[in-house]
Amino acid sequence: MTTVFFDQIHVCDPSSGFDDIASVVVKDGVIADMGAPQKIGPAPKDATVIKAEGAVLAPGLVDMRVQSRNPGYAHQESPTSLAKAAGAGGITAMVCLPNTNPVLDNPDSLAVLMAGNRLHASDRDDQTATPKIYAYGAATTGLEDQAMAELGLLAEAGAVGFTNATKPIADSLIMRRIMDYAAMLDKPIIQHAEDVSLARDGEMNESENSTRLGLKGIPAEAEEIMVARDLALARLTGCRYHVAHISTARAIDLIRQAKNDGLSVTCDTAPPYFALNDIAVMAYDTRFRLSPPLRSEEDRQAVLAGIADGTIDCIASDHAPQDRDSKLLPFGVAATGASGLETLLPLVMGLYHQGVISLMRVFELTSSVPATLLDLEGGTLTIGAAADLVVIAPDRGWQIRGDAFHSLSHATPFEGQPVQGKVLSTWVNGQMIYKDGA
Amino acid sequence: MSSDLVSKSGVATAPTVSAAEIKRRIENARDPQLFASLNGHHLLGIEGMKRPVIESLLERANQFADLPKGEVLTHLKGKTVFNLFFENSTRTRVSFDLAARKIGASVVNVPVSTSSIKKGESLLDTATTLNAMHPDILVIRHQNSGASLLLSRHVDASIVNAGDGRHEHPTQALLDALTIKRRLGDIAGLKIAICGDIANSRVARSNIHLLATLGAEIRLVSPATLLPRGIEDMGIATYHDMMEGIEGVDIVMLLRLQTERMQGTETPSQREFFHLFGLNKEKLAMAAPNALIMHPGPMNRGVEIDSALADDHERSLITMQVDMGVAVRMACLEAVAAQLDQNNKEGSSA
Repeated sequence: MTTVFFDQIHVCDPSSGFDDIASVVVKDGVIADMGAPQKIGPAPKDATVIKAEGAVLAPGLVDMRVQSRNPGYAHQESPTSLAKAAGAGGITAMVCLPNTNPVLDNPDSLAVLMAGNRLHASDRDDQTATPKIYAYGAATTGLEDQAMAELGLLAEAGAVGFTNATKPIADSLIMRRIMDYAAMLDKPIIQHAEDVSLARDGEMNESENSTRLGLKGIPAEAEEIMVARDLALARLTGCRYHVAHISTARAIDLIRQAKNDGLSVTCDTAPPYFALNDIAVMAYDTRFRLSPPLRSEEDRQAVLAGIADGTIDCIASDHAPQDRDSKLLPFGVAATGASGLETLLPLVMGLYHQGVISLMRVFELTSSVPATLLDLEGGTLTIGAAADLVVIAPDRGWQIRGDAFHSLSHATPFEGQPVQGKVLSTWVNGQMIYKDGA
Repeated sequence: MSSDLVSKSGVATAPTVSAAEIKRRIENARDPQLFASLNGHHLLGIEGMKRPVIESLLERANQFADLPKGEVLTHLKGKTVFNLFFENSTRTRVSFDLAARKIGASVVNVPVSTSSIKKGESLLDTATTLNAMHPDILVIRHQNSGASLLLSRHVDASIVNAGDGRHEHPTQALLDALTIKRRLGDIAGLKIAICGDIANSRVARSNIHLLATLGAEIRLVSPATLLPRGIEDMGIATYHDMMEGIEGVDIVMLLRLQTERMQGTETPSQREFFHLFGLNKEKLAMAAPNALIMHPGPMNRGVEIDSALADDHERSLITMQVDMGVAVRMACLEAVAAQLDQNNKEGSSA
């Protein structure tokens, strides 16, 4: 294998706190050496030299919430488009939800997803490596919330946690049993926290805006109630509990309190919830039809505060590709979700540029913490670690345009938005999987 | 273009001239500039509509209301109006149909079998197909809020919203306002209570925007389960006690219980609803003397209103509302058609 030499680049490694100009040697897919340029010296003879003025080298993003759509829904996202979109987003590892067809509720299905996405990716014309694909196992059979899935077998097949994907584990007894069982297996439960009966038929956040628009409201309390119940069960069972795409002030308060109490509790959010509020829905634009719905400005501020004070552990893309037809409908019947892989990094970089978080924290939130949380390879630049890397131009401005996405889904709530922070190249196991402008 | 058919107070005086003369005056009063401030060439809702536009539409509708029976105008000669109703409707569809014919347009009532429409899935396909037949105006009713706005972005025709989900029903609010104006004169300063199922009502939303714009004092009377969140933030007084809510009001505007849009937990029974929120003589006595009753129909007798009260022509404006509907829709069709013409003219000269 070739040697790659990153020559005097700003290295940002959240796993060690290293934040300085350094040179990095990548050999045989791992980080062979890293340190001050004078210590590392010149590039080895046969090395490919990467020199990028003003660029930042960091561990590649580890995206803990992705709907892969494979197997089963290749018209919404194909293995190839998924891999290319992730590469363009600086993502070197992603964890897929089990809401595929077949559902990932048995070890064979899980193997199909992991193998299928890799297999197709190797057919790509450029023969490059692809982002690492992980998956959650379904918490209940068929995601139907009736019976516990084969969590033990799923864990052995590689499931990194369990979830009902875009639906909550709603039944309290089933949740209690699953938590007991997952604690035994030492795997986390990932919950879409929403009280289903309170949110029934809901179309957007319940507020003055939903009243004006005549859309059925989903109150913030639907999230709060589910988080409160789950925290009680986490206390009872000792299970590691993780709230996905947290979006409301009170739920964040509950997590903050639970952490203070010493519970093994974590949460993530996604860019729409710190960057947008429910006023965006005012023209019934289905790009803003998301689940959970865009919340109030007070909730958005609470998400920002939670990111700043560490209550929110990480930020995921919440990539939910939908085909065009599913969005070309009246708001209330349009599909929820948006294409997120290619906008995660620039939007989180926005928080750095606004002074909400440090550059180091950008990569904690999107790389080292999710990797640690789910015990995945990546999220670190320590010597000997897999060379899963991203090189970014932190200040470079560009404009988000859905039709320029590599993802098959072009629907983004950030259409037309100017952002700062561009991925220059993405590397998996020392191989370049994406190059800006290539 | 002030018309001598309308007195300063906005109340129509009895026509003392010949039918032909009235028709001639209406013809001459035609002024496409009048509606230049209409929002685009569509009529999607009342929210955001400027007061002068509302007043122009009402003034024009007031003229049309005096058009003698049997007379047909030719303003929209050569124009085609498609009625596209995805929800069942009798009175609104017939009213639009009649209005279009009376103003000289051709009308096509597009049959939409609700059974073949799976939750709005084919809405844009249907609209695109119809658009290829070059209608000038598409009148649409749909079960989803925002459907008319969605359609307006994908067709060339003017869209007139005949009710979209729980969102708006602009022509209903306009016809309610015209009814009030013709009976009581100025709307500014009137106390109006809107009662019943506010949460699921597009009529309530359009009326709140319109009556507030024209300066009425609005109160909402509703069970807590049928009052949508945050409506107080729109600056409206709300009541759960009907006697208190309608005390001293000039108009009691009732709404139909939208049972088809309910989820089954809003009100325990129709009997209980009538007991607490149904209008009867006793409750009406709390309102101002000679207070008037309105209802957009179709009525649930014995649920929202006592049956005898509904038929009391001294107090009830319900049939007059239906009558005014045709005139208001004539004015709306004329306005959007004029705006569409103007847009096309500007488009071709640019």
